[in-house]
Amino acid sequence: MKIDFKNFVNALWKENAIFYLMLGLCPFLAVSSSVRDSIGMGIAVIFVLAGSNVTISLIRKFVPSHVRIPAFIVVIATFVTIVDYSLAALSPQIHRNLGVYLPLVVVNCIILGRAEAYASKNNVISSLLDGLGVGIGFALVIFVVSIVRELFGNGTILGHQIFGANFTPFLIMIMPPGAFIVIGFFIALKQGIERRGKKC
Amino acid sequence: MNKKEIVGGILILTIITSLSGYLLAYVYKVTKPAIEKQQKIEEDNINKEIFPDGVEFHEVEQGDIKYISVLGSEGKEIGKIFTTTSPGYGGDIKIKIGVDEDLKIKGVKILQHNETPGLGAKITEKKFLSQFDGKGKEKIYLKKDNSEGEIDTITGATISSKAVTEGVRKLLETIEVEKNEN
Repeated sequence: MKIDFKNFVNALWKENAIFYLMLGLCPFLAVSSSVRDSIGMGIAVIFVLAGSNVTISLIRKFVPSHVRIPAFIVVIATFVTIVDYSLAALSPQIHRNLGVYLPLVVVNCIILGRAEAYASKNNVISSLLDGLGVGIGFALVIFVVSIVRELFGNGTILGHQIFGANFTPFLIMIMPPGAFIVIGFFIALKQGIERRGKKC
Repeated sequence: MNKKEIVGGILILTIITSLSGYLLAYVYKVTKPAIEKQQKIEEDNINKEIFPDGVEFHEVEQGDIKYISVLGSEGKEIGKIFTTTSPGYGGDIKIKIGVDEDLKIKGVKILQHNETPGLGAKITEKKFLSQFDGKGKEKIYLKKDNSEGEIDTITGATISSKAVTEGVRKLLETIEVEKNEN
């Protein structure tokens, strides 16, 4: 069994789901306005991606190609529901804040995208690594972006006041356009780093 | 597509869906007591937060209205806690409202909502909810809607702010009618 380590690093940074593939932006825009919710969302996505990638890789030889999409969606929905129940049992507060975006992880195109493009063609361990790579990549990005958005949009990080009480928040940072602006800056930064790396 | 492919597809999908059905039933069974326990703890905490000097909390059903009767240290009723829903921006908002004997608000808490994180979700914050404390129904309007009103709207979340305010006022109105009838 050939294990594809290079793909893990690739998924984590170079082909990052948000900054390069620009998949799964909808829940990203919605949740990245608060650091605490972002951490919850990040963990949920890592778990679902790793779980669904492994399962889909295991069943890839039995599933005929014309029913693969419904089969993959059922597998993904199962993992999302497990996360939904567990989060409600462990941390009702995050569960309440994530609200409708948690069940919507089912239709997050990153997850179906990885199932279709990678897990349905590769072995179990490579698929697990791919799921972890993409998931951790997503979680890190949503974490960093949420720090910027919560700090400027609300003056807080994890609910703690950072700027004084007189600080007037830039409301746009909390709203979806703010997420686009922050993502834009980060993509420029990433491109800049990669360009510089090539010149040397 | 030939017959064999169709049957194979149906078979595989049936197996996958029933397996995940079993798995989910199991997870549901395992997590259910924990979820219920969390909800119970949360509700008790909320009741206690609204009436810190409440000693006993009893559920009472009076006609169509259900409420929690709060008894003080001397065994006398010091207030009631009602639960109501109000349509918000992303679905119904479930609100817990503590009312004292003079029909003034003792405390308002949000039990459940699907408002936008970062905007409408701010209705759960103390800064917004504490505005209701000690007020009677005539003051529970958004400032911009009614000159008597004393509730500040959350910036960028007019619908959510309004939903909570209306929900609380309507409940007070209902209780008052009920009280006068008796």
